[in-house]
Amino acid sequence: MQHHEEMYEVNPFKPKEGSMVDELAVIVAILVGWGLLNFGFQALLSLLAESATGDGMLTRLTFLSFPFHFWFTGQFLPLWFVVLCVIFNLYTDRVTERHSHRRDRTYE
Amino acid sequence: MSDSGANLWPIIIVAGVLTSFIVVGLINKSREGSDYLFAGRYIGRIGGGAAIASNWMSAASFLGMAGLIYLKGYFALAYVIGWTGGYVLLLVLMAGQIRRFGKYTAPDFVGERYGSSTARIISAVVSIGISLIYIIAQLKGIGMIFGWLFGLDYSRGLLLGAGAIISYVVVAGMLGVARNQQMQYFVLIVSFIVPLMYLAHSLGYFWLLPQFGYGVAIQDLAREFQVNLSAPFANGTLFQWVALCFTLMVGTAGLPHVLSRFYIVPNVRDARWSVAWGLFFIALIYWSAPAYAVFARLMEASAGMPEPSASARQMADIIVIRSAVMGQVPVWMVGILAAGATCAAFFTSAGLLITGASSFSHDIYYRVLNPHASEGSKMAVAKGATLVLAAIATLCAMKPPGMIAEITATAFALAGNTIFPAFLLGIWWGRANGNGVVAGMLTGMVLTFAEPLFGRIFPLAATIFPLTSSALCGAPIVILVIIIVSMLTPPPPEAMRQFLAREVHGRLERS
Repeated sequence: MQHHEEMYEVNPFKPKEGSMVDELAVIVAILVGWGLLNFGFQALLSLLAESATGDGMLTRLTFLSFPFHFWFTGQFLPLWFVVLCVIFNLYTDRVTERHSHRRDRTYE
Repeated sequence: MSDSGANLWPIIIVAGVLTSFIVVGLINKSREGSDYLFAGRYIGRIGGGAAIASNWMSAASFLGMAGLIYLKGYFALAYVIGWTGGYVLLLVLMAGQIRRFGKYTAPDFVGERYGSSTARIISAVVSIGISLIYIIAQLKGIGMIFGWLFGLDYSRGLLLGAGAIISYVVVAGMLGVARNQQMQYFVLIVSFIVPLMYLAHSLGYFWLLPQFGYGVAIQDLAREFQVNLSAPFANGTLFQWVALCFTLMVGTAGLPHVLSRFYIVPNVRDARWSVAWGLFFIALIYWSAPAYAVFARLMEASAGMPEPSASARQMADIIVIRSAVMGQVPVWMVGILAAGATCAAFFTSAGLLITGASSFSHDIYYRVLNPHASEGSKMAVAKGATLVLAAIATLCAMKPPGMIAEITATAFALAGNTIFPAFLLGIWWGRANGNGVVAGMLTGMVLTFAEPLFGRIFPLAATIFPLTSSALCGAPIVILVIIIVSMLTPPPPEAMRQFLAREVHGRLERS
């Protein structure tokens, strides 16, 4: 039988064993961190809003003398995105190295 | 402000900076003999990052973003987030795979991946449309700056600025001037931060890192003048904020001139790292932009104008420069700031004019209209297309349809609704085919302009697909259309599916 010769069709919901599984795991993790902190925080702001303009607990708190939500969105989130990129790159670098060491054919 | 006459020193500084770019470009050229569009030599990860950042910085980042924060406060932070968060999507979903696929312009990728010349033409048309909308926004910035520099009204400033850009493109093309993007980033960051430091210092705020020291100014505005710039939903609902932010993100990951950056780096690993550096360099400027807006509001409020007047709203797009003038920043420093803004708008428009025109001559004229065209006639068509594109953009910019950042956001919406889904599924789903992508991109084009097209008849269309923010609902619909149509029609050629599995997803890196 030509079981191992069967053509693989690229599909993130049916990843190929080896490199693609690892690649997808880190992608999903990064995307969750990306979406939660960004869109999740805006949703939280809206949940905690006490007036039509959205003032509430998070807008009264201050951090580094900024209103907390302004600091979080305007300053922390861009930094967070840079951090996510660095994590993704470090992880991908490591996985690549580890597998090329093991001579795993799928990582060649 | 525009009737205060010409500003001599700023004119000299702006002219000097632009000339120095041409001189440095000529020196680079004789040393490298590099390609005009994708300046050649390998420059390392940090240099690659600086190139990504300067390629990205346009009038929308340099001027438009602060202008919208000045008017809309927290709501406009959606631009800061959208235009940085998009790079995360670009990095994790596409950067490495595009590098491994080996096609870097949107029409080349779409045409090759889907094996469909119809798809290639549509993505070329979309790319040209994106370039055109983007250039209109840049021209608005240039028109306002030139108007201020020379003490002219907006339309004369615009004509002068457009003339300058076209002459630059012609001269640079004839002399073969290389684009030095590292130097460009250096000019941008210095010209943006130094005046801001001066401004923070003279207003009595923490000036050493002004981008992190303006928090007190936000609180002073609220306490002393009852101006609440930080109210989250004062200028838009949660849906509007998220829709705008998401649109800018997917647009970033689908913008043709951003996708083509992966050509200059030699391997996948450096491509990934240069994206991370590029994002950091972009963030350096985006952390600072809100400070200009906040300081401007503070100075106006102290002068007895807590809300921007109608004439101040008109000039909001150059609030960065106006706030430096209001804060009595030395005139030479204002000149440097104006030079930075001019560079950002100037080189972006020049680059997009060339890309748009070469897309027309290569993907439409050569591939479709006249496959036997000689190199000479392709060049002639490209030159003609540059002029036509510039003329159309100038005409549209005469009556700008919105703020610089808003016009640009429309280009992002178009990219997010068409090119982003085409790349995403092209990379991640082997079964996506030409019919699917053609149907999807056509749907995306219609959805992008749903507000002006159907907004009057179906008010719901205007709510769900706002012109600047249509991709939150648009991109998922387009993705669905591509999937459904692909499933109903025959799969793409076997060779392409195997190439995707073996080359694009077969390994993490190429040594």
